[in-house]
Amino acid sequence: MTDLDPVIHAAARLRITATLASLEPGDRITFPRLQELLDMTAGNLSTHLRKLEEAEYVAVEKSHQGRTPVTFVTLTRRGRRAFEDYTDALRAVLGGEE
Amino acid sequence: MNSTPPVDDEPLQSPDEALALIREQQRSVEREQLGGVPWILGVWAVAWGLGFLALWSGYDGGNPWFQLPLPLAGSIFGALLVAAIVTSAVVGARIGRGVRGDSAFSGAIYGVSWVVGSAAVFVTGIALSRAGADGALLSLYYPAAYALVAGLIYLMGAALWRSLDQLVLGVIIAVVGAVAPLFGAPTNNLVMAVLGGGAFLVAAIVMRVSLSRRAR
Repeated sequence: MTDLDPVIHAAARLRITATLASLEPGDRITFPRLQELLDMTAGNLSTHLRKLEEAEYVAVEKSHQGRTPVTFVTLTRRGRRAFEDYTDALRAVLGGEE
Repeated sequence: MNSTPPVDDEPLQSPDEALALIREQQRSVEREQLGGVPWILGVWAVAWGLGFLALWSGYDGGNPWFQLPLPLAGSIFGALLVAAIVTSAVVGARIGRGVRGDSAFSGAIYGVSWVVGSAAVFVTGIALSRAGADGALLSLYYPAAYALVAGLIYLMGAALWRSLDQLVLGVIIAVVGAVAPLFGAPTNNLVMAVLGGGAFLVAAIVMRVSLSRRAR
Protein backbone atom coordinates (compact mmCIF):
# COMPACT_ATOMS: atom_id res chain seq x y z
CA MET A 1 0.00 0.00 0.00
CA THR A 2 2.99 2.29 0.43
CA ASP A 3 3.60 3.35 -3.16
CA LEU A 4 0.01 3.98 -4.22
CA ASP A 5 -0.33 7.41 -5.79
CA PRO A 6 -1.77 9.62 -3.01
CA VAL A 7 -3.32 12.02 -5.51
CA ILE A 8 -5.60 9.29 -6.89
CA HIS A 9 -5.87 7.16 -3.76
CA ALA A 10 -8.86 9.02 -2.29
CA ALA A 11 -12.45 8.08 -3.07
CA ALA A 12 -13.58 11.28 -4.78
CA ARG A 13 -10.48 11.74 -6.95
CA LEU A 14 -10.39 8.05 -7.82
CA ARG A 15 -13.98 8.22 -9.08
CA ILE A 16 -13.23 11.38 -11.07
CA THR A 17 -10.11 9.82 -12.61
CA ALA A 18 -11.90 6.52 -13.37
CA THR A 19 -14.70 8.43 -15.10
CA LEU A 20 -12.31 10.53 -17.19
CA ALA A 21 -10.27 7.40 -18.04
CA SER A 22 -13.40 5.70 -19.39
CA LEU A 23 -13.61 8.37 -22.10
CA GLU A 24 -11.57 7.82 -25.25
CA PRO A 25 -8.12 9.45 -25.12
CA GLY A 26 -8.44 12.89 -26.67
CA ASP A 27 -12.01 13.36 -25.46
CA ARG A 28 -13.04 16.09 -23.08
CA ILE A 29 -16.22 16.41 -21.08
CA THR A 30 -18.20 19.40 -19.86
CA PHE A 31 -18.12 20.16 -16.15
CA PRO A 32 -21.92 19.75 -15.67
CA ARG A 33 -21.98 16.39 -17.48
CA LEU A 34 -19.02 15.15 -15.40
CA GLN A 35 -20.82 16.30 -12.28
CA GLU A 36 -23.90 14.34 -13.41
CA LEU A 37 -21.89 11.16 -14.03
CA LEU A 38 -20.26 11.46 -10.60
CA ASP A 39 -23.27 12.70 -8.66
CA MET A 40 -21.10 15.20 -6.80
CA THR A 41 -21.75 18.77 -5.79
CA ALA A 42 -20.14 21.42 -7.99
CA GLY A 43 -18.08 22.71 -5.08
CA ASN A 44 -16.73 19.32 -4.12
CA LEU A 45 -15.94 18.45 -7.74
CA SER A 46 -14.11 21.76 -8.23
CA THR A 47 -12.04 21.20 -5.12
CA HIS A 48 -10.90 17.77 -6.22
CA LEU A 49 -10.36 18.84 -9.83
CA ARG A 50 -8.05 21.56 -8.58
CA LYS A 51 -5.92 18.97 -6.77
CA LEU A 52 -5.83 16.78 -9.87
CA GLU A 53 -4.96 19.83 -11.96
CA GLU A 54 -2.10 20.73 -9.60
CA ALA A 55 -0.67 17.25 -10.16
CA GLU A 56 -1.10 17.84 -13.91
CA TYR A 57 -3.35 14.79 -14.17
CA VAL A 58 -6.28 16.79 -15.41
CA ALA A 59 -6.56 19.76 -17.74
CA VAL A 60 -9.42 22.20 -17.23
CA GLU A 61 -10.14 24.40 -20.19
CA LYS A 62 -12.63 27.23 -20.26
CA SER A 63 -14.12 28.28 -23.56
CA HIS A 64 -17.32 29.72 -24.97
CA GLN A 65 -20.17 28.27 -26.94
CA GLY A 66 -21.72 31.37 -28.39
CA ARG A 67 -22.02 33.55 -25.30
CA THR A 68 -22.27 30.74 -22.78
CA PRO A 69 -19.06 29.88 -20.96
CA VAL A 70 -18.28 26.15 -21.04
CA THR A 71 -15.71 24.35 -18.93
CA PHE A 72 -14.18 21.20 -20.39
CA VAL A 73 -12.28 18.65 -18.33
CA THR A 74 -9.89 16.09 -19.74
CA LEU A 75 -7.42 13.55 -18.40
CA THR A 76 -3.89 14.49 -19.46
CA ARG A 77 -1.51 11.84 -20.79
CA ARG A 78 0.24 12.02 -17.49
CA GLY A 79 -3.06 11.51 -15.68
CA ARG A 80 -4.03 8.53 -17.83
CA ARG A 81 -0.62 6.97 -17.24
CA ALA A 82 -0.91 7.61 -13.48
CA PHE A 83 -4.33 5.94 -13.45
CA GLU A 84 -2.99 2.92 -15.34
CA ASP A 85 0.02 2.66 -13.01
CA TYR A 86 -2.33 2.95 -10.04
CA THR A 87 -4.65 0.15 -11.20
CA ASP A 88 -1.59 -2.01 -12.04
CA ALA A 89 -0.26 -1.38 -8.54
CA LEU A 90 -3.62 -2.32 -6.99
CA ARG A 91 -3.71 -5.57 -8.94
CA ALA A 92 -0.12 -6.33 -7.99
CA VAL A 93 -0.98 -5.79 -4.32
CA LEU A 94 -3.97 -8.09 -4.73
CA GLY A 95 -1.69 -10.81 -6.04
CA GLY A 96 -2.19 -10.42 -9.77
CA GLU A 97 -5.89 -11.23 -9.75
CA GLU A 98 -7.66 -10.60 -13.07
CA MET B 1 -27.13 7.12 -5.70
CA ASN B 2 -23.54 7.15 -4.54
CA SER B 3 -23.77 8.41 -0.99
CA THR B 4 -20.31 9.89 -0.69
CA PRO B 5 -19.30 11.93 2.31
CA PRO B 6 -18.96 15.62 1.50
CA VAL B 7 -15.26 15.68 0.82
CA ASP B 8 -13.96 12.11 0.33
CA ASP B 9 -10.41 13.24 0.66
CA GLU B 10 -9.11 10.51 2.97
CA PRO B 11 -6.94 7.71 1.61
CA LEU B 12 -8.92 4.57 0.78
CA GLN B 13 -8.80 1.69 3.22
CA SER B 14 -7.78 -1.19 0.98
CA PRO B 15 -6.84 -2.06 -2.60
CA ASP B 16 -10.06 -4.11 -2.82
CA GLU B 17 -12.09 -1.06 -1.96
CA ALA B 18 -10.22 1.01 -4.54
CA LEU B 19 -10.67 -1.55 -7.33
CA ALA B 20 -14.35 -1.97 -6.47
CA LEU B 21 -14.80 1.80 -6.55
CA ILE B 22 -13.19 2.04 -10.01
CA ARG B 23 -15.29 -0.81 -11.35
CA GLU B 24 -18.52 0.54 -9.89
CA GLN B 25 -17.91 4.05 -11.20
CA GLN B 26 -16.97 2.93 -14.72
CA ARG B 27 -20.05 0.68 -14.89
CA SER B 28 -22.24 3.50 -13.71
CA VAL B 29 -20.82 5.72 -16.49
CA GLU B 30 -21.42 2.98 -19.04
CA ARG B 31 -25.00 2.46 -17.85
CA GLU B 32 -25.64 6.19 -17.89
CA GLN B 33 -24.27 6.53 -21.43
CA LEU B 34 -25.60 3.33 -23.03
CA GLY B 35 -28.88 3.02 -21.11
CA GLY B 36 -30.85 4.37 -24.09
CA VAL B 37 -29.45 1.93 -26.66
CA PRO B 38 -31.82 -0.99 -25.84
CA TRP B 39 -34.68 1.45 -26.37
CA ILE B 40 -33.35 2.40 -29.81
CA LEU B 41 -33.10 -1.29 -30.74
CA GLY B 42 -36.54 -1.97 -29.28
CA VAL B 43 -38.15 0.81 -31.31
CA TRP B 44 -36.56 -0.61 -34.48
CA ALA B 45 -37.78 -4.10 -33.55
CA VAL B 46 -41.34 -2.73 -33.43
CA ALA B 47 -40.89 -0.69 -36.62
CA TRP B 48 -39.54 -3.64 -38.61
CA GLY B 49 -41.72 -6.30 -37.00
CA LEU B 50 -45.08 -4.51 -37.22
CA GLY B 51 -44.19 -2.31 -40.22
CA PHE B 52 -43.19 -5.15 -42.53
CA LEU B 53 -46.09 -7.29 -41.29
CA ALA B 54 -48.39 -4.41 -42.28
CA LEU B 55 -46.78 -4.25 -45.74
CA TRP B 56 -47.03 -8.01 -46.10
CA SER B 57 -50.75 -7.70 -45.26
CA GLY B 58 -51.17 -4.95 -47.83
CA TYR B 59 -50.35 -6.98 -50.94
CA ASP B 60 -52.37 -9.68 -52.69
CA GLY B 61 -50.92 -13.07 -51.92
CA GLY B 62 -49.49 -11.82 -48.60
CA ASN B 63 -51.10 -12.36 -45.22
CA PRO B 64 -53.56 -15.29 -45.59
CA TRP B 65 -55.56 -14.25 -42.50
CA PHE B 66 -56.46 -10.67 -43.30
CA GLN B 67 -55.61 -7.99 -45.82
CA LEU B 68 -55.07 -4.26 -45.26
CA PRO B 69 -55.65 -1.65 -47.95
CA LEU B 70 -52.18 -0.97 -49.38
CA PRO B 71 -52.23 2.81 -48.67
CA LEU B 72 -53.05 2.05 -45.02
CA ALA B 73 -50.29 -0.57 -44.81
CA GLY B 74 -47.84 1.88 -46.36
CA SER B 75 -48.89 4.63 -43.93
CA ILE B 76 -48.44 2.32 -40.92
CA PHE B 77 -44.99 1.35 -42.18
CA GLY B 78 -44.05 4.98 -42.83
CA ALA B 79 -45.30 6.19 -39.45
CA LEU B 80 -43.42 3.45 -37.57
CA LEU B 81 -40.25 4.23 -39.53
CA VAL B 82 -40.48 7.96 -38.79
CA ALA B 83 -41.11 7.26 -35.09
CA ALA B 84 -38.08 4.96 -34.98
CA ILE B 85 -35.84 7.49 -36.77
CA VAL B 86 -36.89 10.32 -34.43
CA THR B 87 -36.41 8.14 -31.31
CA SER B 88 -32.97 6.99 -32.50
CA ALA B 89 -31.84 10.52 -33.28
CA VAL B 90 -33.03 11.91 -29.94
CA VAL B 91 -31.75 9.03 -27.78
CA GLY B 92 -28.57 8.66 -29.86
CA ALA B 93 -27.69 12.33 -29.49
CA ARG B 94 -27.95 11.97 -25.70
CA ILE B 95 -25.38 9.13 -25.57
CA GLY B 96 -22.36 11.33 -26.04
CA ARG B 97 -23.74 14.56 -24.60
CA GLY B 98 -21.24 16.77 -22.88
CA VAL B 99 -18.33 14.95 -24.53
CA ARG B 100 -16.24 16.58 -27.26
CA GLY B 101 -13.19 15.39 -29.12
CA ASP B 102 -12.19 12.40 -31.21
CA SER B 103 -15.16 10.18 -30.30
CA ALA B 104 -17.65 12.97 -31.00
CA PHE B 105 -16.22 13.02 -34.53
CA SER B 106 -16.78 9.26 -34.88
CA GLY B 107 -20.30 9.62 -33.51
CA ALA B 108 -21.10 12.39 -35.97
CA ILE B 109 -19.85 10.32 -38.92
CA TYR B 110 -21.98 7.42 -37.69
CA GLY B 111 -25.05 9.65 -37.51
CA VAL B 112 -24.42 11.21 -40.93
CA SER B 113 -23.97 7.74 -42.47
CA TRP B 114 -27.61 6.95 -41.70
CA VAL B 115 -28.80 10.07 -43.46
CA VAL B 116 -26.52 9.62 -46.49
CA GLY B 117 -27.25 5.89 -46.79
CA SER B 118 -31.02 6.27 -46.51
CA ALA B 119 -31.04 9.15 -49.00
CA ALA B 120 -28.98 7.09 -51.48
CA VAL B 121 -31.42 4.17 -51.22
CA PHE B 122 -34.34 6.54 -51.80
CA VAL B 123 -32.80 8.32 -54.80
CA THR B 124 -31.73 5.03 -56.42
CA GLY B 125 -35.32 3.81 -55.96
CA ILE B 126 -36.60 6.86 -57.82
CA ALA B 127 -34.11 6.18 -60.62
CA LEU B 128 -35.22 2.54 -60.84
CA SER B 129 -38.84 3.63 -60.94
CA ARG B 130 -38.13 6.07 -63.77
CA ALA B 131 -36.28 3.34 -65.62
CA GLY B 132 -39.50 1.31 -65.56
CA ALA B 133 -39.30 -0.73 -62.37
CA ASP B 134 -42.85 -1.61 -61.30
CA GLY B 135 -44.31 -1.67 -57.79
CA ALA B 136 -43.51 -5.35 -57.28
CA LEU B 137 -39.87 -4.89 -58.18
CA LEU B 138 -39.54 -1.78 -56.00
CA SER B 139 -41.14 -3.63 -53.08
CA LEU B 140 -38.22 -6.05 -53.35
CA TYR B 141 -35.63 -3.32 -53.84
CA TYR B 142 -36.42 -0.90 -51.01
CA PRO B 143 -36.31 -3.25 -48.01
CA ALA B 144 -33.26 -5.07 -49.36
CA ALA B 145 -31.27 -1.93 -50.15
CA TYR B 146 -32.16 -0.29 -46.85
CA ALA B 147 -31.26 -3.42 -44.88
CA LEU B 148 -27.89 -3.63 -46.64
CA VAL B 149 -27.16 0.01 -45.77
CA ALA B 150 -28.30 -0.53 -42.16
CA GLY B 151 -26.28 -3.74 -41.82
CA LEU B 152 -23.11 -2.09 -43.11
CA ILE B 153 -23.56 0.91 -40.80
CA TYR B 154 -23.92 -1.46 -37.84
CA LEU B 155 -20.68 -3.13 -38.95
CA MET B 156 -19.04 0.29 -39.04
CA GLY B 157 -20.39 0.92 -35.52
CA ALA B 158 -18.96 -2.42 -34.43
CA ALA B 159 -15.54 -1.37 -35.74
CA LEU B 160 -15.75 2.12 -34.20
CA TRP B 161 -16.77 1.03 -30.72
CA ARG B 162 -15.45 -2.54 -30.78
CA SER B 163 -18.98 -3.74 -30.14
CA LEU B 164 -19.74 -7.43 -30.56
CA ASP B 165 -23.48 -6.71 -30.29
CA GLN B 166 -23.37 -4.43 -33.32
CA LEU B 167 -21.18 -6.88 -35.24
CA VAL B 168 -23.72 -9.70 -34.84
CA LEU B 169 -26.67 -7.41 -35.55
CA GLY B 170 -24.96 -5.93 -38.63
CA VAL B 171 -24.22 -9.33 -40.15
CA ILE B 172 -27.77 -10.58 -39.52
CA ILE B 173 -29.44 -7.45 -40.93
CA ALA B 174 -27.22 -7.42 -44.04
CA VAL B 175 -27.86 -11.14 -44.66
CA VAL B 176 -31.63 -10.73 -44.10
CA GLY B 177 -31.62 -7.82 -46.56
CA ALA B 178 -29.78 -9.85 -49.18
CA VAL B 179 -31.82 -13.03 -48.73
CA ALA B 180 -35.34 -11.54 -48.37
CA PRO B 181 -35.77 -10.73 -52.12
CA LEU B 182 -35.09 -14.38 -52.97
CA PHE B 183 -38.49 -15.19 -51.43
CA GLY B 184 -40.19 -12.86 -53.91
CA ALA B 185 -42.81 -10.19 -53.18
CA PRO B 186 -44.71 -9.96 -50.92
CA THR B 187 -43.17 -12.79 -48.85
CA ASN B 188 -39.92 -10.77 -48.61
CA ASN B 189 -41.80 -8.46 -46.21
CA LEU B 190 -42.61 -11.36 -43.93
CA VAL B 191 -38.93 -12.37 -43.92
CA MET B 192 -37.94 -8.80 -43.03
CA ALA B 193 -40.52 -8.67 -40.24
CA VAL B 194 -39.65 -11.99 -38.64
CA LEU B 195 -35.88 -12.20 -39.11
CA GLY B 196 -35.05 -8.49 -39.19
CA GLY B 197 -37.52 -7.41 -36.50
CA GLY B 198 -36.61 -10.51 -34.52
CA ALA B 199 -32.88 -9.69 -34.68
CA PHE B 200 -33.53 -6.18 -33.33
CA LEU B 201 -35.73 -7.56 -30.57
CA VAL B 202 -33.12 -10.10 -29.48
CA ALA B 203 -30.38 -7.45 -29.64
CA ALA B 204 -32.49 -5.09 -27.47
CA ILE B 205 -33.10 -7.78 -24.85
CA VAL B 206 -29.47 -8.98 -24.80
CA MET B 207 -28.19 -5.42 -24.38
CA ARG B 208 -30.74 -4.59 -21.69
CA VAL B 209 -29.85 -7.72 -19.73
CA SER B 210 -26.10 -7.22 -20.04
CA LEU B 211 -26.36 -3.57 -18.90
CA SER B 212 -28.39 -4.50 -15.84
CA ARG B 213 -26.06 -7.42 -15.04
CA ARG B 214 -23.18 -5.00 -15.01
CA ALA B 215 -25.18 -2.95 -12.53
CA ARG B 216 -24.61 -5.56 -9.86
